Amino acid sequence: MKLNNQHNSLLISLCLICLSCYSYAFVQQEITAKLTTTQTVFEAGEHITLEFELSAPSVVNLICHSAYGTTIVNPNYGLANVSFTLPENISTKKGILDFKLVLKGTSLYNGSISIIANTKNKTVLESYIGPPSISAGTHDYTMLVVVPTDSYDNPIANHTPVSIKHQFLDDQKEASIKTTDLIAWKTIHSDTKSGRILVSSTLNDVSSKEFSIEVFPAQPTNFTIDYQREHIYADGNQITTFTTSVIRDTYGNTISDGTLVNFIIKNQNNSSLKTQGMSINGVVTAYMLHPDHKATWEVTSQINGMATSNTIHINYKGVTEKLPVRFTNANRRISIGPLQSFMEQLIPDGAIVKLTITKNEQILETKLKTTANGMVSFDLEKGFYSPGTYSFIIEALGLTSIHSNIKL
Amino acid sequence: MPIKTNKYLISALILGITLHGVSLFFTLETTYDALIHLCFAEHYASHWFEPWNYKWYTGFTVTGYPPLVHQSIALFSLIGGLKFGLFAVAFIAILLFITGVYRFSLLFTGDRKVAGYAAIAAVFSSSFVETLHVFGQLPSIIGISVLMHCLPEIYLWIITKKYKHLLAALSLLAVTITSHHVTPIFGMVFFIFPLLGMVLMDIARENVGSYKKVRFTLFLKTFFKHFKRILSFGINALALIIFCILPYWINTKNNPITQVPIPHGSRDNFIEVTSSGLVFFIIPWGILLFVFPYLFYRSYSKRYLFFGLSFSFLTLLGTGGTTPIPKLILGENAFNILTLDRFTLWASIMALPLFGEFLFRFIEGDLKEALQRKFGSVFHRLLGGFLVSGIIGLFIFSVNLSYFKPSQPQKINMLPILNFLNQDQHDHWRFLPLGFGDQMAWLSAQTNAMTVDGNYHSARRLPELTTRAVERLENSKFRGIEGLGSLQQFLSVPEKYHLKYVFSNDKFYDPILYFCGWQRLRQLENGIMVWEKLNVKPLASILPKDDIPLFQKLLWGIVPVSTLIIVFLLHFKRLWNRVLKISPLPKANYLNFSISYIKFNPQIISFSLGWIMLCLFFLGLGSYKFYIVNATQISPKNAIAAYYDALDFKEFERAYSYLNPKSHKTKDQYMLEIAVNDGLLSSYAKLDAIKTKLISQNDSIAKVTVNTFWITPLERIEKEYYHELYKLNNKWFITPSDYDLDLPPDQLFSVNTTKFYNHGRRRITSEQTHHEDVLKQPVLEVLSSKLIQFNNQYSIIGQLQNVDDVPADVVVNASLYNHSNNKLASYNVMHQMKHKLLPKEITSFRINFEGIAWQKNTDKGPKTFNPKEFTPASIKEIPATFDLQCAGNVANVDLYKSVALQDVTTTNETINGIVFNAGLQEVTIPQLLVSYYNENKQLIWVTHHFLPEGIRQQRKQFFSFELPNIIGLNVLKDTTENTFVNGLPNKALLEKIDVGTKYKSKNDDLIPVKGKGFSYLKIALNNYVGAPN
Repeated sequence: MKLNNQHNSLLISLCLICLSCYSYAFVQQEITAKLTTTQTVFEAGEHITLEFELSAPSVVNLICHSAYGTTIVNPNYGLANVSFTLPENISTKKGILDFKLVLKGTSLYNGSISIIANTKNKTVLESYIGPPSISAGTHDYTMLVVVPTDSYDNPIANHTPVSIKHQFLDDQKEASIKTTDLIAWKTIHSDTKSGRILVSSTLNDVSSKEFSIEVFPAQPTNFTIDYQREHIYADGNQITTFTTSVIRDTYGNTISDGTLVNFIIKNQNNSSLKTQGMSINGVVTAYMLHPDHKATWEVTSQINGMATSNTIHINYKGVTEKLPVRFTNANRRISIGPLQSFMEQLIPDGAIVKLTITKNEQILETKLKTTANGMVSFDLEKGFYSPGTYSFIIEALGLTSIHSNIKL
Repeated sequence: MPIKTNKYLISALILGITLHGVSLFFTLETTYDALIHLCFAEHYASHWFEPWNYKWYTGFTVTGYPPLVHQSIALFSLIGGLKFGLFAVAFIAILLFITGVYRFSLLFTGDRKVAGYAAIAAVFSSSFVETLHVFGQLPSIIGISVLMHCLPEIYLWIITKKYKHLLAALSLLAVTITSHHVTPIFGMVFFIFPLLGMVLMDIARENVGSYKKVRFTLFLKTFFKHFKRILSFGINALALIIFCILPYWINTKNNPITQVPIPHGSRDNFIEVTSSGLVFFIIPWGILLFVFPYLFYRSYSKRYLFFGLSFSFLTLLGTGGTTPIPKLILGENAFNILTLDRFTLWASIMALPLFGEFLFRFIEGDLKEALQRKFGSVFHRLLGGFLVSGIIGLFIFSVNLSYFKPSQPQKINMLPILNFLNQDQHDHWRFLPLGFGDQMAWLSAQTNAMTVDGNYHSARRLPELTTRAVERLENSKFRGIEGLGSLQQFLSVPEKYHLKYVFSNDKFYDPILYFCGWQRLRQLENGIMVWEKLNVKPLASILPKDDIPLFQKLLWGIVPVSTLIIVFLLHFKRLWNRVLKISPLPKANYLNFSISYIKFNPQIISFSLGWIMLCLFFLGLGSYKFYIVNATQISPKNAIAAYYDALDFKEFERAYSYLNPKSHKTKDQYMLEIAVNDGLLSSYAKLDAIKTKLISQNDSIAKVTVNTFWITPLERIEKEYYHELYKLNNKWFITPSDYDLDLPPDQLFSVNTTKFYNHGRRRITSEQTHHEDVLKQPVLEVLSSKLIQFNNQYSIIGQLQNVDDVPADVVVNASLYNHSNNKLASYNVMHQMKHKLLPKEITSFRINFEGIAWQKNTDKGPKTFNPKEFTPASIKEIPATFDLQCAGNVANVDLYKSVALQDVTTTNETINGIVFNAGLQEVTIPQLLVSYYNENKQLIWVTHHFLPEGIRQQRKQFFSFELPNIIGLNVLKDTTENTFVNGLPNKALLEKIDVGTKYKSKNDDLIPVKGKGFSYLKIALNNYVGAPN
């Protein structure tokens, strides 16, 4: 058994030797190739030709593989040596290019060259900035990203210095940023002032376009308010104007135009009135009609949740103490007036007069009329108010006049 | 004997082409349907074999309507444009109709002269005129005309069994089928079946010599004898109906019409809705109404018996909802889908041969003699004059119906809109026309831009549309709650449909657009206002479609036109011969059955005269009633009704005429008072209902309260007025109300304001906008957001602030999720927010989760209008969490904030106050946005109130509303955790904002109230300026 086994292994080794001898003889007959081009680094856009020396003339192709894809290149016509010119769509792309010389599916030669960005042509700068508006106060920033490329859109070599400049007010700064991982970028922080930052970048005499960043003021700070009015009387007609001081942010910048400021007014009834205005050059103006009756206003202003003002108090004096009422036409016409204002002039048209008619302590009707030439009259038609005893409450300009037990 | 040219037919053709041709150019484009057919034609002209059309309803298939007419227009359009195609086909329709009636009448009466009279009658037939000049139903006309051409061939096939007739009949039928789908189906029942009956009757008569001898058994025998021929025709016809428009049937099966029926006037009760009665009964019948007795008498003679039955049925079905019978016959479903006016059209066409016969007998036949003998020739002449003037009068009236009762808005010059859509890639979004009428189809035909709306409602696919009886969004104001409800859904969530532009031709819709967050872009040269919505993404370049197999596309593209070619090939020789009379024509069998008109039945004469008297009596009665209803001042109620009617229609001079002449109010003064009024009520409202209650009245004075209900685009407003009326000379007059005498303090005043302008693209280039021209989205901060359960509905409320330095347009979308994070509902803020915020401005908001109304067909919509009516989304699970997506975009318009809250007084139930407009713009619709707070000053609820009247500059306006009862309101969740602004978490943004100077808001502006479920409230104002200056 043992001997038998030995025989077997001998036989197998013999066969193997024969086989290897045969294959060696076969390889001996094969064509070999040698790269004769010595240059291994090319610039993008350069005319790249790879030459090979073949042991025997044969039809070979070059398979090129780069980051952009794989393609087969046919040889240029030559005699002993075969040469390949890489097509432009490959030779202009930066990166490592692997190639393989093949003969009927068998690879004869493997190799690679590297293509670097073109340095001879002009560089192109692609730049982006954002956000286009930031707020003042050093914490907010915008970012400029520059992608310098060669004329074939290849990112240029790492560590190429890009000069990034920005201007703000009197300040003009320049920084040299080296490209890393294809881009150069810089964050530009706002200053404490609001205004406009202009940014640009330069590389090899090539300049980007100008970018502008709007620096808006920061959060508003507290401010003061004041008021103007034509007179101190509650005539329900004139307008009181509220103004703020110039509202500034923490850093002394005037707040953005259009900022909404609320004026909250508390009157003696603890009721809340409200007016508002938008800022121009930091100043806000808001308007309020004079009350039509004696009133005290307590006015505060605020920018929602951010800033507030001092509180001011405004008193409005009643225009008159007199509310003349006359009953004519068998008490069926109630004339009120002439209502006079503070200088005994007639009250401007439109003052509201309210008449409440009651009978047996039940309100029958409430009539509202506005004055014309200081006068208002109510007619109580027979058809509607049958003869009887009525009570009338007349209210105007904050005054009340009660007339009970009037017979119609 | 060579047959002479029928001079009656020639006159009919000349008359028809001249009369209709002259008016066609003024009427056809303003009809309901013509432009829709034009739009379909445009589709075939540009995509002949592609049945999918993206332009309407987010895409629809044109296989929903038989294509022949559209394809013919498309073919003609290659010569001279779409409108040329339309008019060319319309002229062909006129020719086909007149010749069709001639051939049908010839078949019917067997008398060329009578048929000629019928052809002339056809020219003036008011139903034909209405169908063509008012409805613009070209396919319907062509369908029925070709069917009439087909009938003689069917007759001849049955009687002669010559295959050429069968072939001719089938080829013509194929043309009918491919022109209009409903015509052949009902044509089978109402035209072809009675025709078969008549043929059998004729054959039976030939056997026995006289109609009198034709008995039922004989008829039955004849029927069985010819059953094979009838059957072979029937089966072939059925096969044709199925084959010729196979894609149509497949589409109908795949997309059954499950939509809520759209109300149509032809289904109304004509006695109740007299306008429908006029349009769908009186006008189409026209002069035929007066000869009803003759028509019925003749059509029930033995030969025409089956036609008589069919005629009666058609007449009955055409009466719509006047009696319940049509609904019983057709069944609920068919009744609600079909428009019943077509039955009247067919009935009146079926009556034409007999009417021709009547005319012949009246003008030169036995009726003339009988009348002259009985009443003298003067009477006959008078009657003739009455008849002719009636025919001509009705013709003129129905051709120009749209002049008397305009059905469409004024013709819109589309060019500026087309230019707008082509500029700056505006056609990358969908658009929506409002108030365009059927002209929207013409707009669609001319542009590649798409709209969410459409004009062929059977093809609608979006459930938002199909679940409501809304024909088009474009005219939604005429569909009350359902219309405006649908519109609101589209306007609130336009992102879903990529809807960015609205072309508004009706300022009625302006408020709804504004309060849904849209903004005016500009007014085009043709007066159309363009509205746009920010934050809407453009359409993808590849859109989904329902594709159909290639064989269907080929069938649809090839078969219809082939039927036309086959008909031409088959009929060309005969047509040539018939027109030019080159060789004698074989005498058609039906010519043997003409009768000689010797003796007119005198009973019919007297009965007819009685009938005419009756008709005239009803006419008089109608006129009298019309007068009485319009006697405006015989009672206080009438006077009030008339006054408000005049106000509603803006006929202020008429309104003034109802005012007490002794009140010393001059017309000038009154007009001035009216002119200075603006607001929701005076500019955007339509009176819906009015209830007048007499408080007291004696001989000369009355006092009334009037409860008026106004439809506005935003809500239904109820407003109560008091009026005093006086009686003068037996007429009631209204005492004019006082007007506001308030005098502003300043004659001339100035206000400084900040205004904004956004360049958009700074470079004039068709490239994509450069990135540096794109503004940063304004930063918003969500101050609070809460999930609220109240009255079994879920809402999200909250407050947000524009913390940026530029004005922001704000879009807020909220979604509810269950415990396993499945989305339950999603919706946008509609009215309850200020959509435009100045820097640092705060707004409260509330999102209601609206479902698609009446999702189930069984759900019944309310009868009256109520835009506030709201269908909550059916949320079955309790929402566990929610997210809020807010987006800000730079706004530069609609930032008017100069309205002050001048005075507020509260009671436990109501809140009253005054608002004062201190600025330079007139506020058309002020909106009060009321936020409610609990005792800890935490926001718990938000409501809104529109003030019915506007506020002029430096003037005040009173308001008063009831405080709500929100006891039972439940705050389910109070978190800003899942809140995102411009796609970023709210929190992250906050960190970026410099909070160093931030002071805690003290909520100073809260008004303390003793409310039901709340302790404080806050009022904010949102102002719609209708006409910014």
